[in-house]
Amino acid sequence: MANLLEIDGLQKHYRMGSSIVRALNGVSLSVRTGEFVGLLGTSGSGKSTLLNLIAGLDSPTGGTLRVSDRDLAKLTRTDLSQHRRKTVGIIFQSFNLVPTMTAHENVALSMMFAGVPRKERDDRAVALLASVGLGGRGSHRPKELSGGEQQRVSIARALANQPSLLLADEPTGNLDSKTTREIMAILKDLNEREGKTIIMVTHDAALASTYANRTVTMLDGVVVSDTAAA
Amino acid sequence: MTFKDTVSLAFRNLRQAKLRTFLTTLGVAIGIAFLAGMVSFGVGLQDQLVGRFTQSGLFDSITVTTRGLPPVLGGDGRRGRGARGGIVDTDASSSAPRLDDEAVKQLAALPNVAGVFPMLRLPLQLKFGDFSTFTAAGAVPLSASGQGAFQTITHGAFFANDTDDACMLSLDMATRMNADDPKSLIGQGVTLEYAAKTAAGGPSGSPLPSMPGVDLGGLQVRRVEYKCPIVGIVERETGPAFVGVASVSPLMLPLGKARAIYNAQVTNVQSLMRNGAEDRAYPTITVKVSSAKSTQDVEAAIKKLGFSAFSLNDLLQGAKRAFLILDIVLALIGSIALVISSLGIANTMVMSILERTREIGVMKAIGGSDGDVRKIFLIEASAIGVLGGVAGVLLGWVVGRLANFGANIYIVGQGGTAGDLFSMPFWLIASAIGFSVLLSLMAGMYPANRAARLDPIQALRHD
Repeated sequence: MANLLEIDGLQKHYRMGSSIVRALNGVSLSVRTGEFVGLLGTSGSGKSTLLNLIAGLDSPTGGTLRVSDRDLAKLTRTDLSQHRRKTVGIIFQSFNLVPTMTAHENVALSMMFAGVPRKERDDRAVALLASVGLGGRGSHRPKELSGGEQQRVSIARALANQPSLLLADEPTGNLDSKTTREIMAILKDLNEREGKTIIMVTHDAALASTYANRTVTMLDGVVVSDTAAA
Repeated sequence: MTFKDTVSLAFRNLRQAKLRTFLTTLGVAIGIAFLAGMVSFGVGLQDQLVGRFTQSGLFDSITVTTRGLPPVLGGDGRRGRGARGGIVDTDASSSAPRLDDEAVKQLAALPNVAGVFPMLRLPLQLKFGDFSTFTAAGAVPLSASGQGAFQTITHGAFFANDTDDACMLSLDMATRMNADDPKSLIGQGVTLEYAAKTAAGGPSGSPLPSMPGVDLGGLQVRRVEYKCPIVGIVERETGPAFVGVASVSPLMLPLGKARAIYNAQVTNVQSLMRNGAEDRAYPTITVKVSSAKSTQDVEAAIKKLGFSAFSLNDLLQGAKRAFLILDIVLALIGSIALVISSLGIANTMVMSILERTREIGVMKAIGGSDGDVRKIFLIEASAIGVLGGVAGVLLGWVVGRLANFGANIYIVGQGGTAGDLFSMPFWLIASAIGFSVLLSLMAGMYPANRAARLDPIQALRHD
């Protein structure tokens, strides 16, 4: 079976004034379905850039990036939005919920873009919020929720369109250690019980080794180590 | 994303910023109200003037004469057809057709002709008791019943028969005859007198020769007098009374009767000379057109038949063109207000997008396409346009009503007749709202495109 994610010689260069920043300088990586990959690295190592490219939020400068056998470098802007809508679910460090919408509406919004009918949207949003332990709190706005709760909403939203790949960018970076454990438990559970493939960017090596079953370390735009957990 | 969802999302966003939405919409509403009010005023003025003219029957009627000299100069309008008549046949256009009953039939057969009315004015002496006056009797066809001035008969009724010995009077004339109670004249008889040749068959009435015949070298002229009951009294309409067939003369006779008198009557030496067996041609015929729009075509068709034709329609066309220019100028002035309000929309949208940059980033990250984002903002802008347009038309209407009310108080106070100075026909309402939506879409285009092209990563970093 083909790998879910196939990256080969991936490059991403930014122009900063007159100089060129090589954020990714030839990254090669494959991820199989069902893996939980911890993407480690210091800031500026290129790990977030890599995640953005996999998410389809940005386009690579060179190399290939295949998700489910589709080369993202060749997709149009519209196709990329389709990719973000259907193939990947993104969880951010700062949650990125729409502040004017309730938890329920935030979860339903991504299904709205996917054209899911209203009734189904509402049913699924209720079920998803219950599954992350927020049953009955759907009518709350982000401001009325704690950080951990907001991140749960954000996980529910990421799962709404049943993506084959969950991408998490420092999902516990803004949370205390107790809440971190709760959120990581949810992600671990999704990986083990539902077989969700997860790529999680973090700078916390302990977190990665505890929850992920594979740790990839990046430095200066290249992968320097790739180890499977024992 | 379905259209319905896009709309609900757009309205949701508008509700989030109620005050801003309200103020922007109000700006559009005032602009639209100004524009609609301006054009409404132009249209209202035009309706007032053109409507009054059209009602007068001046613009859907064509006056037909024979080619050559106008009837006023040519006497009885009888020219042409060889030299039978003798001295009158000096006209060069000897082939021109006569305006006789044959011509009436020909004209009536033309398309878009609603009616053909020979115009006759008979100089007559009218006597009623001690009252006596010389007047011109107008011939009124039965088809004029309920038309023009005959829409309302002040007292009595319209003619029942084309050849009856009956007459109608103008209210002016009736008041001259009986100032206190003109109504009592109905049913009473007046005596009409005119000169006729003895040789020809006189009118069907009962001529009462009361004057010895005057011998003009073998030509006998006698005075004919006949009694004729008054059946109706008609008030002279205000405004222009001109060539319209349904206009009021001091004394009016049914056309058939008038025609019989006309054939026998002697008004000048020429009429004395003619062959008694031959019907006299009409001086003019008025052709009524089914709608003022076809006046021009019918006029051309009549000219093809060999007659001269004249209508006031050309003057009305000029007036309409002037009004069109007035409307355009008013609309342009009104549009300036609307352009300003559309800048307000653009400003609101730009502000809104700046404020919601991060939200746009989120929408894109979870799968919103450029098109989805563009649509959301375009619908927001056009929703402001629709709301502003509808509110503006309402506002314009209310202000127009108030201004009309005030203006009419003044007009009536000055002795004029009240009317609608502000007219808001459906096309104006529809195009005002349409224009508002169009302008707001244009105003929303730039902000919406800017939102659509936002880079999601940059947008997500935005605070």
